[in-house]
Amino acid sequence: MKHNKDRILSMLLPLISLGLFFVLWFWLARAEDSMIPTPYETLLRLLEICRKPISKATLPIHIWVSLRRVLIAFFCAIVMGVSFGVALGWNRTFRALVNPIFEILRPIPPIAWIPLIILWCGIGELPKVIIVLIGSVVPIVLNTYSGMKEIDPLLLDAGKVLGAGRRQLLWEITLPATVPAILAGIRTALSSGWMCVVAAEMIAARQGVGFLIVRGQESGDTALIVACMLVIGVVSMLLSTVLIKLEGVLCPWQFSKTK
Amino acid sequence: MAVLENKISVRNLCKTYEMKGNSHEVLRNMSFDVRENEFLVLLGPGQCGKTVLLNILAELEQPDGGEIVFAGGRPRMGEIGFVFQKYALFPWKTVMGNVEMSLKLRGVDKETRRAAAQEYIDMVGLSGFEKALPKQLSGGMKQRVGIARAYASEASIMLMDEPFGALDAQTRYQMEDEILRICEKKKRTVVFVTNNVEEAIYLGDRILLLSSRPSSVKEEYVVDLPRPRKHTDPAFLALRNRIVSNTDLNI
Repeated sequence: MKHNKDRILSMLLPLISLGLFFVLWFWLARAEDSMIPTPYETLLRLLEICRKPISKATLPIHIWVSLRRVLIAFFCAIVMGVSFGVALGWNRTFRALVNPIFEILRPIPPIAWIPLIILWCGIGELPKVIIVLIGSVVPIVLNTYSGMKEIDPLLLDAGKVLGAGRRQLLWEITLPATVPAILAGIRTALSSGWMCVVAAEMIAARQGVGFLIVRGQESGDTALIVACMLVIGVVSMLLSTVLIKLEGVLCPWQFSKTK
Repeated sequence: MAVLENKISVRNLCKTYEMKGNSHEVLRNMSFDVRENEFLVLLGPGQCGKTVLLNILAELEQPDGGEIVFAGGRPRMGEIGFVFQKYALFPWKTVMGNVEMSLKLRGVDKETRRAAAQEYIDMVGLSGFEKALPKQLSGGMKQRVGIARAYASEASIMLMDEPFGALDAQTRYQMEDEILRICEKKKRTVVFVTNNVEEAIYLGDRILLLSSRPSSVKEEYVVDLPRPRKHTDPAFLALRNRIVSNTDLNI
């Protein structure tokens, strides 16, 4: 009985909170000198830009342009971040040598790099990809490194008594044990990368969701701005859902709910 | 050559830890012999350095002094089996993956090591669970995997560090019978650590009672009761009382 009630509540409450959100939005938008469009106006604008191109592209194309920048940077970030994090966690000399530099560069917001990157690489695709890369590589490095540091020493002992050499300890024990931490880093990296691409596009781009927001600002088109903000939120949510599903497939010992 | 020759000779082992400026002497002049194919129980109060001793035997830690001589020379890593109190199973590996690990690390090809591992999985009664992940198993089953994994290395020496310490009483009795059955089937030299007197008498050919820290061997008991032993047997109880009255309190 109680179980059933919990289920109904957990399905009902999100609906209620979403409903409240829209009611509040509608109420704010209707105020006399309001700057924000109503949900209805936003929806109309959203449907319109799906059909009518802005800057030679419809909304799906803009989303795809942004997404492509993120995905390219994201895969580079995984390769670079995991190798760098593993090297930090595994090799003491490397850590002593490189960690101080990393600690100085790490807290710099990726967006602060935009002017320099544009100076170096112009305004093509490359600078956006690099900015997203900067934003998404850091969480992967940090999670990989701390995952390696926090590995259960008992598992290393078990590996040693079973005859693992140093290299086997890394490949057979340490890396698999670190996979959940790496995946957590990857999830953070994807959402941070998505934020960076919007920021990068707001400064210099001809296409992309960030560009659309700037276009909305320039033409006083608040419905366009809000529609794009919604799109950004929804895309980010979808990406994160996909990754959570992927985690369950990639490491069932950690995430799936079998008993 | 005597039937019971010494498999391991431990002489004057010492170990001290430095922690926050305090030094904790854990082992002081620990000496004993382990005979070929015997079931030796090291019985001692909690915190008396039993785990440290096993870790030193397995070369996971280095002693500060003393020596360990193995018949036939120092085994390499992977040539001593180790059963951990907290199982220490690899959570990302299936039962099969855990049991075949030592063979995989040695570079044995997949087919051969699967067949060998299967034998030990069957031996501990886990047939049908080859593809299960450790988290799907109960404590007793986890430790069965731990035992199968240690035996699958074909090591002639098995070190067991309170292997049933984390199990409930009922499972513990089951596992004690299980380990005796396995030892009967696969003769190995077993060094079994416990803080439980009944378990020591139930299992051991010989019991070494350790003193509290800094620990050394306080007394040796040869258990010449026939198996299967009964906890209610007067001789069992008499030995139990002798050992208990000689045990240091752990404060």
